[in-house]
Amino acid sequence: MLLAIRELQIPVLAAMLIGGCAAKAWQAWRSRSVAAGMGATGLFPLRLRRPVMIATFVTEFGLGLGLVATGGQAGTALPAASVRTATAIFFLIAVGTLQEARQRRPEVGCGCFGELSETPIGLRTVIRSGLLCVAAVATIGTPRVRMPASSTQAELWLALLAAEVTLMAFLSPELGEILVRLGYSEPCELRRLPVGRTLAALHTSSQWRRYAGQVTAPTPADVWREGCWRFVVYPGLAHGRRVDIVFAVYLQARRPPIRAAVLDQATNEVIGQPEPVSLPLSR
Amino acid sequence: MRHLADIPRWCEDVTDSAGPVRFARRSRLKAAVLGRRNEPDPSVPAARDGGPADYGADYGTALAYTVTGRILDASPQILVLSTNQGEQRFPLSAAAKAWRGGPVSPAALRHGDHAIVRRSLPGGPVVDRIWAEVGRVTGTIIEREGPVTLLVDEGPAKGRKIVIISAKTAGRIQVRFPRLEPGYLIDVIGLKHEGFLQALIPATSQPPYRADRPPAPPLISGHVPDPVSGTAVWHEPGEEPQGLFGLAYPALDPETSCERVAAAPPSCSGDLHAVDPHATGPGCVRLPYLSVGSMLRLRNDCTGRIRFLPVTGCGATARLFCDRCVTCGTSQKGRIADLTMAAFVELGGALETGCFNATMTIGG
Repeated sequence: MLLAIRELQIPVLAAMLIGGCAAKAWQAWRSRSVAAGMGATGLFPLRLRRPVMIATFVTEFGLGLGLVATGGQAGTALPAASVRTATAIFFLIAVGTLQEARQRRPEVGCGCFGELSETPIGLRTVIRSGLLCVAAVATIGTPRVRMPASSTQAELWLALLAAEVTLMAFLSPELGEILVRLGYSEPCELRRLPVGRTLAALHTSSQWRRYAGQVTAPTPADVWREGCWRFVVYPGLAHGRRVDIVFAVYLQARRPPIRAAVLDQATNEVIGQPEPVSLPLSR
Repeated sequence: MRHLADIPRWCEDVTDSAGPVRFARRSRLKAAVLGRRNEPDPSVPAARDGGPADYGADYGTALAYTVTGRILDASPQILVLSTNQGEQRFPLSAAAKAWRGGPVSPAALRHGDHAIVRRSLPGGPVVDRIWAEVGRVTGTIIEREGPVTLLVDEGPAKGRKIVIISAKTAGRIQVRFPRLEPGYLIDVIGLKHEGFLQALIPATSQPPYRADRPPAPPLISGHVPDPVSGTAVWHEPGEEPQGLFGLAYPALDPETSCERVAAAPPSCSGDLHAVDPHATGPGCVRLPYLSVGSMLRLRNDCTGRIRFLPVTGCGATARLFCDRCVTCGTSQKGRIADLTMAAFVELGGALETGCFNATMTIGG
């Protein structure tokens, strides 16, 4: 079983390295700036940050590819042993750098997986790099990676892989960010909605029909928004008094809830009591 | 204290027929239509907010600690200010500290300086902190002349300012702002002079990206958390009244706010580097869209002090800064409120520090 654990580390390490590299490349491409995913390279002087960032990227990519390319060789062969030793050294340096960055720049993320790694560096991130370093050391001297010989061995590998992925997920603050992105739909309080659509929804509502006879101006006196509600105020006349008729329109595409109230312009007295609203401001 | 009636008209121009008075009415109208009775009314001062006991009688919507004015006389024991309520005399506590480009003795303050002072106790006569001629420039560098003179664009709502960095302070500033070049962000605190700011203190660390390329914001799962945590900063009054109590909010409704004002076409080389913060995305902290006049409950996480504040302006430039405040622990990333100087001091912030960790509740 110990041998199975050691053999398993090669694909895990390769996946982590190439995945980190791809995430950094994606961020650099989106922001058109290599420095955007600076992370722990912020420890270096300004003129060195870009070269250090590029060197990290190239090293990760080279080590990831190297682990895949030499996976079929025994761990004692010179190319495989070199790549695996270099991987162990890379993660050892990462541990030191992360720990230093954690102390000197507590506000920055590690940038290990590009924009997914913007959470400030915590102990979990440092431990993750430490474990990957141990994993890389464990791969030195292993026999060549091959397919499992039996279904029992395959099941053992799968179980070990699941356990390791779970451990890595626990140590990765990036996981929460990934889960959020998978299930994303913009909440109403962040959605842009033209005033014209709000007014169109209002003008076809029963609340509008109820108060339209009191409205004395064709356009609203005020329009504003708070979270998921847009408020529209029309001047009006009720029982011979100058009033403000205020409508609250919930910002949803179909059949938005609409509330209305009438206030005396001079005294601010509410004429008739509106029902309290159960929908919170930002829901 | 100044109220919502002081809010300038340059923001939120849609259907702008009734002037700032309509912003002041919004809270009342909202409470009426949504049937809520517990919202603070900005026209009613001195509403208690249940703040921490060590501040004694704490006040919700009024300036209880802060006074602004021009210095008429300063001695080790007494400070005389010309305020909007006339000449006022303030005894100084034995531990009173003054700032004028750095820590100075209160007697070193000059006649005519613009000062903002903090009382020891809410509403009390004794003053323990004084800031004189303190200024701040936050925005995008659009021109650099020589080694130390910068023209900074603070966004469409605030205009441009000149920043001069002396050789004496250049090292201190460049440690935190290594790229003093057009297109990059700057945020410095210093001493106000006629027509320029003498930069003395870096207010944050320079973001590594260019101002027009802030990072994409994190996506929100479900709804925006309420309350939301982040950084609160301060800004100079500009066209706002001195002593205005409120905040510039980074996410005003784009359909009815100053975002609708089209950017002017470039007329000089510096314009090419100017960044309209509305065009760069929502910033690194997602905040619900609000409007001028909306009421917020803001807590200074470093002092525990709480205030209800009205949104008084457009703070879109804050969106460009994906930084954290480390005044007391490390804040969540991003600026959630750009306070007026009076509000910042009222909440217990030190102007020369530049920020505090804050928690904001929408709608109070």
